[in-house]
Amino acid sequence: MREIHGTPGNHWYAPGVSERLDDLERRIDALRREIRRAVRARENVLARSLRAELRRAEQAWDQALADDEAPGGDPAPGSLLPIREQVHQALTLLGVPAAARVVVAVHTALRAGSLRGSQLTSLRRDEERSFRGAPFTRPYYLCAALTDRLSASRGLLAVSTWPLERRVIGPLSPRVDFLTTAIRVAEHVERSAGAGGHAPPGARRLLARLAHNIPGAGGGPRTRGLPPVDVLTPAGPFGEGFDGPDPADVVRAARAELEVHAAADAAARAEIAGRARERLADAERLFGGATLRVATA
Amino acid sequence: MDPLDRLRGPVPPRPHDARAIAALAANPGCARRAVLDAAGIDKDATATHLGFPAPFGQSPFAITRGNAFEALVKESGCAELLRMLRELLGLPIAQAAYTDLGDVGGNPSAHLRHSHTRGLLDRAARDRDDAGTLYDHPLLRLEIAGQSAYLEPDVVAFQLGGRFHIIEIKSFAVVDGQAEPDKVAAAARQAAVYVLALRNMLQELGHDPGRVSHEVVLVCPENFANRPAATLVDVRRQLAVLRRQLARMTRVGSIVDALPPGLTFDLARDADGAPTRPVAELREAVRGVGARYAPDCLSTCDLCLFCRDEAAAEGSTDLLGRQVRDALGGVATVPEALGLADGSLPPGEGQEEIARLLRLADRIYAEVS
Repeated sequence: MREIHGTPGNHWYAPGVSERLDDLERRIDALRREIRRAVRARENVLARSLRAELRRAEQAWDQALADDEAPGGDPAPGSLLPIREQVHQALTLLGVPAAARVVVAVHTALRAGSLRGSQLTSLRRDEERSFRGAPFTRPYYLCAALTDRLSASRGLLAVSTWPLERRVIGPLSPRVDFLTTAIRVAEHVERSAGAGGHAPPGARRLLARLAHNIPGAGGGPRTRGLPPVDVLTPAGPFGEGFDGPDPADVVRAARAELEVHAAADAAARAEIAGRARERLADAERLFGGATLRVATA
Repeated sequence: MDPLDRLRGPVPPRPHDARAIAALAANPGCARRAVLDAAGIDKDATATHLGFPAPFGQSPFAITRGNAFEALVKESGCAELLRMLRELLGLPIAQAAYTDLGDVGGNPSAHLRHSHTRGLLDRAARDRDDAGTLYDHPLLRLEIAGQSAYLEPDVVAFQLGGRFHIIEIKSFAVVDGQAEPDKVAAAARQAAVYVLALRNMLQELGHDPGRVSHEVVLVCPENFANRPAATLVDVRRQLAVLRRQLARMTRVGSIVDALPPGLTFDLARDADGAPTRPVAELREAVRGVGARYAPDCLSTCDLCLFCRDEAAAEGSTDLLGRQVRDALGGVATVPEALGLADGSLPPGEGQEEIARLLRLADRIYAEVS
């Protein structure tokens, strides 16, 4: 086990809210005392690191207070949900592991949420701590995607209830996951348009951005060698009266490319997932093993 | 004791990065730079201690902007990059594999990452069919004057007709097909360093080094938007200059042998790392190795202000730029040139021709002004 005993400042989830706040306040007081002592002793390096820790503790205190308020309020609007709920929603919509940036972009565009990238930085670590403290007590954990070296893939978030095959990353998986993301976003835009509503402009913009990098999706060049279509519209794809690419086109184009990669990707994923099942314990399977060997490729 | 170690003093040699290696190629004639670089001396600290801190260093805003642009290009398994490579080089749809060579788990050493890169690129070069396409965060190694420098190109792409391409992501804008020539030249020099390192690696592994293309893919924001666009840049010339310069650095021994035996550039740092060496003494030591100042040093070398000051004090013609200096071959200083022009100084042996030209120029100048 590693890193269970971190700063209590990041230890948000396991204890009850008021208990947590008490803990944090005690911690903040203690840190302030230590900083005073360090400054008096002219230990600048120590003082600086203590100050950083104090800031973290204070942020955690603010966060804990906000979490405390959240369940009391109306649970319906997205932005009042705890961050992990919001991330979970976005990931469930996508159905594939995604980087924090993508999670934020998707959530902002489709759910009108107000996630910020900085809120996601410690999420995975906090989830890991919670899991290691009391395994499988929550319905889901936000966990890591695994690389072919069975370590946690940098920056990608996934959901623990997904099958392992979906959480591992082979060489083609980033592309496959990108195409799947585009399909899911396109379907979402189509659904909200079909339901009589109008997809929010943010969602259409996101779709246009994704479609731009899929051949034949209407956002970029239709065939190799031709200039991009938006050469003709100087204002770019979001100019007057331009509704963004047709979601159905995006789905079709993305499926077409997906078909090319599907078999190879599935094989690679199955192989990695098999190895992960064999070698990793529960916690490592979710949050990545700490392998430090040279590639034996 | 190795003479280079003696020159540097009891500090570890400073590792070279691609930018520094590229800058070497910018002024191949400068013995001072060759010696200081070969010995791995911290030129920035030396210049600061001499009272001439280097006027550059990247602004934090530029670095943030560069990183953000790179993240944009590499987002979602290099989705933007794949689109550009498909357009530019006709990369087949099926080839979309992305391998992050930096992802070796934990926080491993450069050595470990380098062998990982080596292993995977070897496999890529060997079996064409099953290999990956994009390799992110590769770590290459280049031997510079007996030290190995680790280099990290932005991305290496493979499988474009069985060849490797270095991809360089830069955040300066290409407006209407034009970019600042200085910046493109600097990017090309830097990319040439990577091409050379990758070629050396393939050669060591027993592959044909010619499989690394001399055309690098330069990715920049296009026009005034943040949308990336790719162009091919031919770096053959930069490669040739770089090779010559590196060969010269390995022969730096002959320059070092000619230096006075007690010479050192040691800053005599105390326990806190603050330099204690008397400035005058260090100045004499640095002056002991001849420099070849040129105005373009100002954008590439940490010692530029020191050398400029020195050149100005001597009235050296170096200050006037390379073209003027070359035209005034054999005339070292500005006062000398002026003396030859107005006839107050008799031309020495071999200076007759340049003296005639200078006097002619002086006459024309007097007539028109």
